[in-house]
Amino acid sequence: MGDTMNRRRLLTAAVLGGAGLVGATALGSVAPEAAFAAEPVAVEPGMPDPNFAEGRITSITGALLLVAGSDGTFHRIQVTDGTSIWKLRPTTFDRVAKGDGLYARGVRLPDGTLAADAVWVNIVNLHAHIAAIGRNVLHLEHKGRRIVAHVVPGTTAAVYNGTPAVSDVSMLRVGRHVQVLGAWHPDTNEIDIATVYAAA
Amino acid sequence: MIELFAALQPVLVGVVLLWSARVKLVGRHAAAAARRSALVPLLGQRRALPAYRLVGGLELVVGALLVLPPVSVPEALAAAGLTIGFLAYLGYARVAAPESSCGCLSAQRAPVTVRALLRAGALFGASLLAAGAGDSWWAALTQRPLAAVALLTAEALLIVALSAELDRFWLVPLRQLRVRLTHPLRGGFGVPLLATVQQLQRSGAYRRVSALLSSDVREHWDEGEWRMVCHAARYQGRPATVVFAVPLRRFAPESVRVAVVDDATGTVLWRLAGADEASRPPSTLTLRTT
Repeated sequence: MGDTMNRRRLLTAAVLGGAGLVGATALGSVAPEAAFAAEPVAVEPGMPDPNFAEGRITSITGALLLVAGSDGTFHRIQVTDGTSIWKLRPTTFDRVAKGDGLYARGVRLPDGTLAADAVWVNIVNLHAHIAAIGRNVLHLEHKGRRIVAHVVPGTTAAVYNGTPAVSDVSMLRVGRHVQVLGAWHPDTNEIDIATVYAAA
Repeated sequence: MIELFAALQPVLVGVVLLWSARVKLVGRHAAAAARRSALVPLLGQRRALPAYRLVGGLELVVGALLVLPPVSVPEALAAAGLTIGFLAYLGYARVAAPESSCGCLSAQRAPVTVRALLRAGALFGASLLAAGAGDSWWAALTQRPLAAVALLTAEALLIVALSAELDRFWLVPLRQLRVRLTHPLRGGFGVPLLATVQQLQRSGAYRRVSALLSSDVREHWDEGEWRMVCHAARYQGRPATVVFAVPLRRFAPESVRVAVVDDATGTVLWRLAGADEASRPPSTLTLRTT
């Protein structure tokens, strides 16, 4: 916890402290444009993207995830200090559990392991109709099936008519179409809502 | 009572069949309804619409025969045959094409649910009862008008309640009313992270460094007026953290600030202040950088 606070203090000072100093460091002045990694992404047309993996986590050993892809392929995914983990919100690796689904993007190492840059756990993206609304719950009709979508106060955001996101979800209406980005509860028909897009 | 009930069934089944035939034969969206129905996987794209129309024609004939006196046993049996056909079709649709629409009583999209199966079952039962009807429905209606109207109304309400495609006329407004009265969605307060990220992505600071970013948002926290948003990055081959300071409660993408911090040493590798400071006289900047 103390480490986190120190780190945050350092980063805050880095971005807010000092004057409008531009690119002057002991290492020389390098604008980010000059530092762009000039490595083109080598994806052959029609072939699966080698730097992407998807599936369900079958085991977690240290920071190595074994993932069974939905097309039958197995992936080994290495989570590093620089990996972002999303599970309904930006979170930490200890919140990832066996049985979770994931999408991961990163760099494929020579031994076939994917060194993950970003992992999105249990992420779902649904187009649905609101069939009913309960206490902080949307009952969604999605392709003939019922989905129970939970509003998570403090996390759930709503975007109405493409305007900036707000935390007020009270403008949702029964019978209307919505798009929901959320986190699935594995092996259930329930999700937590990260963002709901609707017309108001 | 049971005779009265049986005698009224032909008119109920007949009216439902006529309604259904109207949707399939003269409905404006019949072609679309046929395309969405389970007839497509069953018969193929090309034959779905003709089959849909054919079913509508059969419904029209049987429905008209049932409603127009006299009612005969073969008519009721034909209706029973039609309804058990529907039952089988809906069962097939539920198993083989759960995403298809029923296409039964309205072109309104309605998935095949237990309610649709119950409705088809109820109509099948009513058709069987109609086969045992002694009187014509008109005679029953004139003899005991009150009881007959009450029974028919109750049955019609049951059919409506079991019809998902008619929900928007009664169930959806009822649920909307309940939401309006009880306000069940509490939601949260404060500025959601997405609002900050939306503002960040519109900023010049983000455009300058976006090609460096390797990860999604890793962490974020609030510092007074600002929300800090961190991404992992690779800067000249070194692991680094890109930290943005985004105005928390105002929309001012031009004031977004950014710093690139070396992960190993904690030194600031690069920094860009927001427009508020960058718009200062250039002399100030020159002084500070030298």
